[in-house]
Amino acid sequence: MSNDGVNRTRRQLIGVTAGLGAIGTGFAAVPFVLSMTPSARARAAGAPVEVDISKLAEGQMLTVEWRGKPVWIVSRTPEMIDSLKNLDAIVADPDSAKSIQPDYAKNASRAIKDKYLVLVGICTHLGCSPLAKLQAGAASGMGDDWLGGFFCPCHGSKFDLAGRVYKNVPAPTNLDVPPYSYVSDTRLMIGVDQKEGAA
Amino acid sequence: MQKVFDAMLGWVDARFPLIKTWEEHLSKYYAPKNFNFWYYFGSLALLVLVIQIVSGIFLTMHYKPDTQLAFASVEYIMRDVPWGWLMRYLHSTGASFFFITVYLHMLRGIMYGSYRGPRELLWLIGMAIFIALMAEAFMGYLLPWGNMSYWGAQVIISLFSAIPFGIGDILSEWIRGDFVVSDATLNRFFAFHVIAVPLALCGLVFVHIVALHKVGSNNPDGIEIKKNKGPDGLPVDGIPFHPYYTVKDIVGVAGFLIIFAAVIFFAPELGGWFLEHDNFTPANILQTPPEIVPLWYFTPYYSLLRATTEEMVTKGLLPLTIVMTILTVISVRNVLAKMAAVGIGSVVVVCLFIFEAKLWGVILMGLGVGLFAFLPWLDMSPVKSIRYKGWMFKTALIIFCIDFLVLGWLGTQPASGPNVILAQIGTILYLLFFFLMPWYTTFDKTKPVPERVTQ
Amino acid sequence: MKKKLITIFAILLFPLTVAAGGGGVALDPVNINLNDKESLQKGARTFVNYCLSCHSAGYMRYNRMGQDLGISEELVAENLLFAAEKTGDLMKAVMPAADAKKWFGTAPPDLTLTARSRGPKWIYTYMRSFYRDESAPSGWNNKVFAHVAMPHVLYEWQGEQRPIIEKDSHGVEHITGFEIAKAGTMTEKEYNEAMRDLTNFMVYLAEPAKLVRYKIGLYVILFLIIFMVAAYMLKKEYWKDVH
Repeated sequence: MSNDGVNRTRRQLIGVTAGLGAIGTGFAAVPFVLSMTPSARARAAGAPVEVDISKLAEGQMLTVEWRGKPVWIVSRTPEMIDSLKNLDAIVADPDSAKSIQPDYAKNASRAIKDKYLVLVGICTHLGCSPLAKLQAGAASGMGDDWLGGFFCPCHGSKFDLAGRVYKNVPAPTNLDVPPYSYVSDTRLMIGVDQKEGAA
Repeated sequence: MQKVFDAMLGWVDARFPLIKTWEEHLSKYYAPKNFNFWYYFGSLALLVLVIQIVSGIFLTMHYKPDTQLAFASVEYIMRDVPWGWLMRYLHSTGASFFFITVYLHMLRGIMYGSYRGPRELLWLIGMAIFIALMAEAFMGYLLPWGNMSYWGAQVIISLFSAIPFGIGDILSEWIRGDFVVSDATLNRFFAFHVIAVPLALCGLVFVHIVALHKVGSNNPDGIEIKKNKGPDGLPVDGIPFHPYYTVKDIVGVAGFLIIFAAVIFFAPELGGWFLEHDNFTPANILQTPPEIVPLWYFTPYYSLLRATTEEMVTKGLLPLTIVMTILTVISVRNVLAKMAAVGIGSVVVVCLFIFEAKLWGVILMGLGVGLFAFLPWLDMSPVKSIRYKGWMFKTALIIFCIDFLVLGWLGTQPASGPNVILAQIGTILYLLFFFLMPWYTTFDKTKPVPERVTQ
Repeated sequence: MKKKLITIFAILLFPLTVAAGGGGVALDPVNINLNDKESLQKGARTFVNYCLSCHSAGYMRYNRMGQDLGISEELVAENLLFAAEKTGDLMKAVMPAADAKKWFGTAPPDLTLTARSRGPKWIYTYMRSFYRDESAPSGWNNKVFAHVAMPHVLYEWQGEQRPIIEKDSHGVEHITGFEIAKAGTMTEKEYNEAMRDLTNFMVYLAEPAKLVRYKIGLYVILFLIIFMVAAYMLKKEYWKDVH
């Protein structure tokens, strides 16, 4: 009943059918896998957000939502910016070498323009949103030598006014800086990268 | 490579009956070699079950069982979710194809007498699957929260209120969890639809296959192949399920998928038969659609329900009961059986006068489904397969099939004028197919059944 | 025998004819072609400029419409965004539903799925069947949707129609046609064409997947046919054994 010729045809036909079946199954799996990627609604919610900062007073903070996360915009006073230098020895990653920020914000003030700090308000430890303790000194309840910054109530991480993390706290890196750009002097676009050479 | 594989297989087999299961159910399960076209539908129904479960899981990832959100979440799946439209059409088309394959699978069983001994329990498990499937389809249909979903559920749940002595109202309120179909109803239907009933379905399908492999498959000749074994102890008319029927079923699967894909990609609504136009409007508790119509797979039973008017009870069911009682009394020899027939007959007659038509409609609808379960004991023919049965059974089955389709069609039409009378005639014929079966299968002239299966 | 067959067929076909007669108003056929991008764009413009003032298309996003119809994101943002801020927003009505309910007595329904619930023919006929009726609160009535709350929004285009009424054998009045009482800015042909574009767009709006599913379906079926041929040859090869 079975001889070599028959077996060879069978093996070839099994190969072809199984191969086609595998290809078909592979293609059929694609829509199922893709259906789990962010939907149009998620992408629409994650669209860039335009923020008017003309009314933001010095020393104040504004929070907007971008991709479901709080984004802080802090208008820093000249004193606040100056104080950053004094903290270089106390923070864990003073040059932001290990932290996440666009290249145009990888500088001393971690911002495009020194005055306006833009941060993702999510602690890099376990995802809590830190509290703003912008004022220096005892008024923030952080002790007399506090120079202003953020404090995460979950596990006690501390960040300075450039979002840089203090040494010896649980958070491993500085607060993230999201991609952002200046549409005009008083309007920010969160989620769109600053084009090179602009602003 | 081969050695490593064998070692792994040996390791597993020492701890789990892998090879034994494989042999018992596939490579050494002997099936009759004369299966024809009708024998594809069992494996195809299993395929549809898998399609429904997989597409259902992916729909559940995006669907919201909340009256405020449900309708929008379905449209969200259709538009915003990448490939969501395909998931939904797979599921909605799969629902209809589930019934197509199951109905053809059942018709195959009726044609070739697959319900006859020793396969009565196999048939009853199949009936349980059929009823679970209907519950699954009914509850799933509420989930899109379209206007037809809502009113369809409202009407069908209200059927329970036909149960007398105040039980009905309590029962329908209990099912809904509210005084009308509401958020509570939607949520519990969701729970049943996505986990409870599918779990039961999978279990029943498993038991169905175990029972099948215990008694062995029937075949178009209705011959027990186990009775005719060769010197090697294997049935001479049998072939191993694997590879012969696995390769054959793959062809069936491919053919089925072509038709399935054609509907999904080119006509997912199928002109309103698979997805109803009125269900593209969100549920509106203030406005009933002009015609409440269940999906096509329920319409034959829906017709039975609607055909049962006051007049139908007095002029149709009453004479039917009396005639059936007399016929039974004449036919059975045992005196006790005669007395039992008179007793049951008179109780039914009295009840026909006491209870209103609404209840009888519900009972008839239940009978429309449930009577199939009695087939193993109603069919008294000495042969199993239609091939060797006489003209009476053939005629009865043809009339029943046409009747089933006509009732199905009538169920989608307005119940008025000639439609009502036609549905009433159809209802009587439907019942007679079952009720008269012991007689026409007894008196029918059968042909001799051959020793071996024919090709 | 022949007579019997005819009777059986007559019984079987009877419900068909009953159904066909009971439908009410006859609807006009409309040429739907989703490959006609220009028509879809024109329809979109009409829809967004007129319909969207009161009605929502609340399951549809502006940017999806732009991508599907070949309208650039900037163009959508500049010309089509009235009630929304972002191009990713859903197409909500300009007028709040509560206000609309106060003015018209009923909230204007969402139109995203109208082409699927009522059908393209209905939309096409409805939009061309408004007529003057002083007894109606809005001053307008419609042949397809009697006593509809919506006034004829596009009367400037179509002009004013008067119904031609005839009595049937039972003495019941039927509208058999229309005559133009006051001309609009469009000719009848132009108006019909504009309504065809609008209907075409609404068919797209009801199911954006329609643009892709036919093409994908063709490939799927072609693949399955090839697979079936291979599977059939395999089956034949094995079944050589079975005698």
